[in-house]
Amino acid sequence: MIDPITFSIIRHRLFRVTDEAVITLKHVSGSAITNEGHDLLVGLYRADGSLLMGGLGFLNHMVYAAEACKVIIKRFSGAIDEDDIFLLNDPYTAAAHTSDIYLIAPIHYKGRLVAWSACFVHITDIGALNPGGFSPDSRDIYTEGFSSPGLKLVARGELRQDVFDTLLNMVRSPEMVALDMRSMIACNNVAKERMLELIEKYGYEAFDEAGRMLIEQSDETLRARIAELPRGRWQARQYMDVEDRTYRVCLTMVNDGERLTFDFTGSSAQADRPVNCTRSACFGAVLAPLFPLLCHDVIWNEGIIRRVSIITPDASVVSCRRPAPVSVATIGAIQSARIAACTALSKMLIASEKYRKEATALWHANSFAIFLFGRNQHKQNVIGIMTETFAGTGGSRTFADGVDVGGLITNPISRMANVETIEATFPVRYLFRRRRINSGGPGRYRGGTGLELAIVAHDSPDGGLHYVISGKGQKHAMTEGLSGGYPGSRNRFVWVHNVDGKSAATTALSFDELPDRKKDVSWGVYPLKSQDALYVASNGGGGYLDPLERNPEAVLSDVRNAVVSREAARAIYGTVIDNGLILDSAATAELRQALLSRRRKEANLG
Amino acid sequence: MNRSLSPTLEIRRSANGGRICCGNCGYDLAPEGRPWKQAAAVKELSTDETSLEGADDGAATVVRLFVCHGCAALLDSETAIPGDPFLDDVVES
Repeated sequence: MIDPITFSIIRHRLFRVTDEAVITLKHVSGSAITNEGHDLLVGLYRADGSLLMGGLGFLNHMVYAAEACKVIIKRFSGAIDEDDIFLLNDPYTAAAHTSDIYLIAPIHYKGRLVAWSACFVHITDIGALNPGGFSPDSRDIYTEGFSSPGLKLVARGELRQDVFDTLLNMVRSPEMVALDMRSMIACNNVAKERMLELIEKYGYEAFDEAGRMLIEQSDETLRARIAELPRGRWQARQYMDVEDRTYRVCLTMVNDGERLTFDFTGSSAQADRPVNCTRSACFGAVLAPLFPLLCHDVIWNEGIIRRVSIITPDASVVSCRRPAPVSVATIGAIQSARIAACTALSKMLIASEKYRKEATALWHANSFAIFLFGRNQHKQNVIGIMTETFAGTGGSRTFADGVDVGGLITNPISRMANVETIEATFPVRYLFRRRRINSGGPGRYRGGTGLELAIVAHDSPDGGLHYVISGKGQKHAMTEGLSGGYPGSRNRFVWVHNVDGKSAATTALSFDELPDRKKDVSWGVYPLKSQDALYVASNGGGGYLDPLERNPEAVLSDVRNAVVSREAARAIYGTVIDNGLILDSAATAELRQALLSRRRKEANLG
Repeated sequence: MNRSLSPTLEIRRSANGGRICCGNCGYDLAPEGRPWKQAAAVKELSTDETSLEGADDGAATVVRLFVCHGCAALLDSETAIPGDPFLDDVVES
């Protein structure tokens, strides 16, 4: 048994190892999706592949990488050497989709395998039908690009150039993919060096004992917490709209006092469009919101994973059979499972007086992938995501409004690139980008706003470029409110197209100022040429409790800050604000009484 | 002993067992451990109405507002495609 001070030091050093590895990953990679959007993760694993310490990034990947480690251990048994690095990206083995590549590195100390480090990034391209990895035109896994259930990329510290070149030969934008790959190699090298320094200083026995204790601590803490929370079952549902077809992800979460079971019975049959996910991907998805909601004060490791199980119907959108396509999974079924789990967990928390303050209305529930591709102003071929999807929105809490454009609950470090970064890389110009009015879900506490933006082509050698768009669609509002709070607004994606060949309105400062030729788009490939514009509006977070209970002064502040309109203040919040943006308290009290009277009549109370 | 089930609902216990009630007025909704939403008044709004999007913009979902028959307090909400069943949450203890 190690002393508590040494234990604490090792625990904190492990945190710092993951932090430094993430910084390395960001600084070496040149792609905006990694170093701006933070679509990444670093984790540390024990010798058997069990999760020791999860770092920051998309939290579901902690679980996927643990599975990837275990697969590599089995597949390469007897052939795992010092300073090797393995690659895995097959969704039917452990990955989320093919474009999320894991690099997994064994850590040897004095010739003995003692731990693993692993990381992932969404690489710039994987050679799927559509550029960028999200491939809405794919109808099976075979058209979703390069896919490996495990290969050795670095052997005893030497890059296997033949393997590396083969991979780069199958992707668009190979120079950026090479940078992504090298960033992950560097990340693992830094993690390994720091781990070895730690083991050298405190000894292998202390390191191993600390790892075992950390997992036991997390297991015991979560076990006690589950026992404290109410037993019962809580339901949630998410919709995906793909080319006018609706797919459902249905969840019943059960707390039996010992563990949490997430049952997806009732979910739609697997789709022929790539919004499906595999069963293992679904398992990681439910853990992503569980880490911050139930375990914010617990080390995120294998001890937590042990307390969770899932039930998935075979050949469904949450447990698809090979060769079903999955390239849009991370913003399709995986996100739906993550968000449904967030709803169910929050409803369980709200039923506990002790833990109620930890509950949250839904955050960003409808991510979108818009990958721009074409030649840029420097005559280079470029592919890149619009990182605004990572800007997300915050759900309201039981004590405060959600944070406007507040990120994702399942990725604590997600963010978007600034406008100038995008304009420097792509031949586009932003007409506007700002918080989206009336998008935050109304409630006593308001959900955070989403954002809205419009871009046009600018300074392109080819008169513009194209974009691939995919996701859960735009028909459904999916950021649920909590305890009577309303949902946030839904997404909008609009292709503005001047069919008469005139240029797009390059001076428009709002959606209404854009030309009338507007078409909703949410799936496929579209042009952004000289006569086009693209308008994007993202969902707001869910609200908490009755909007008629919101402090009128808070509504006034929202109106003055242009995040709630005067019309919405009146119609939804029962708050009267005059043209001079002054609150009329008497009229507000009168209006709220009138709205409550109408509600009484509608509830048959006379 | 009464127990809060959410900010808007509570369980009131008597010799005859626990009942799920409106936390504001005590209106009786269902036995403890059973779904309660069927006993509330339900109002459906287009999700476009709740964010003042144009009503003809094509939202496929509605917000269901569950309202107390006793005092018109807003008890809960959920988002659904019309016709989909209520989300039933059951707290056992």
